[in-house]
Amino acid sequence: MKKVLVVDDSLSVARQLEKIISESGDFTCVGHAKNGAEAIKMNHSENPDIICMDMNMPGMDGLTALRTLSVMDKDVKVVMVTSLGGVGDKFTEALKLGAKNVISKPFETDNVLRILREL
Amino acid sequence: MAVKFFGQFLVEQGLVSREALISAIELQDQKNLKLGEMAVAMGYITQADIEKAHNAQMSKDMRLGDLLVEMGFLTLTQLNDVITRQKNTHLYIGEALVQIGALTSENLQKHLADFKADQAQYVSDGIALPPGVANSKIWEMTADLTYKMITRVLDLQFRPGKCALTETLAPNFMMAAMDFNGDVEARYLISVSEGLQKTIAKAILREESVDGEPAEVLEDTVMEFVNVVCGNVAAKASQMGVIMNINPPVTIRPPAAGLPVPEGHTALCFPIHIEDGDKMELILLIKK
Repeated sequence: MKKVLVVDDSLSVARQLEKIISESGDFTCVGHAKNGAEAIKMNHSENPDIICMDMNMPGMDGLTALRTLSVMDKDVKVVMVTSLGGVGDKFTEALKLGAKNVISKPFETDNVLRILREL
Repeated sequence: MAVKFFGQFLVEQGLVSREALISAIELQDQKNLKLGEMAVAMGYITQADIEKAHNAQMSKDMRLGDLLVEMGFLTLTQLNDVITRQKNTHLYIGEALVQIGALTSENLQKHLADFKADQAQYVSDGIALPPGVANSKIWEMTADLTYKMITRVLDLQFRPGKCALTETLAPNFMMAAMDFNGDVEARYLISVSEGLQKTIAKAILREESVDGEPAEVLEDTVMEFVNVVCGNVAAKASQMGVIMNINPPVTIRPPAAGLPVPEGHTALCFPIHIEDGDKMELILLIKK
């Protein structure tokens, strides 16, 4: 079962994602980081296969963390989760920095799982 | 379910790879000349003129085209010629994907039709603002998208009230706010009653009951709703050529007397009548 780390400053989004991930049968949620800096630490301690990370967070934001993770850990697959997915520049920047895909909010369970299963 | 641009739709649906999309965007970057580059290519100005205008932009909050006209490097007619040429020669993302071999022309047409059908739910229905409000199209779109997200995300039946200017933000159980900056500056606020906060929490958390949930979680769900709406507003605005950056949301507990509108701002209030009598308002505090 693939391990997923959720990174979001919003408790409610983390709850939604953790529920979708843990009920899927294919993935297990190994933790919840509240910002980019925590994500980098938890990537080291929890060694997830996939990171689902918000873009817009106080403290270290998602794109900054993505930049660091892309250099530090070539194996982890990062998917950005954001309400800004439809802003073309943000979407492109995330892909260029190494994100495997971008999930736009509001999201649907089927779409989230399809994207995670394709990784 | 969200506002998207075509390239994102294609990658999300697995119709093109992320590598192909990045290559197509790089091709667009090469082919689509910026305004200054196009003006140079058309022989209207020199590179040195652009550099002078860029230096002037450091102290003047103006678009490059307007500044080139103000500094006498371009006439208004020439500026319009440049903009027209940019539009007429623009390489769209779908065409770029065909050029690099990631899509066929036939598939492009089919995927474009599917994309338009997916995004039809976000086409504006038209909302009337009081006269004299600057950037009215942006604020009409903001209200329209809020209504659509109330239906799609919260699954609530409601009737939008008439938009009016206000001097005081009426008291309510809580407000969640998010600031926009970029080409326009404003604060987006959603004001909700206690009952409505629970309704929003149930929808966002996808739970039958939120009894026993901490207040922090209930507040967070309203902030998340605001985040979803504002992110999609920023996406729609970028399609309209307007940059709107968003900041992390915050909560406000308004006092019983309400909150005065800060100086230098126009406040637009959009009452939202929910079917069981719960109170909700969208307020836009727009910097003058």
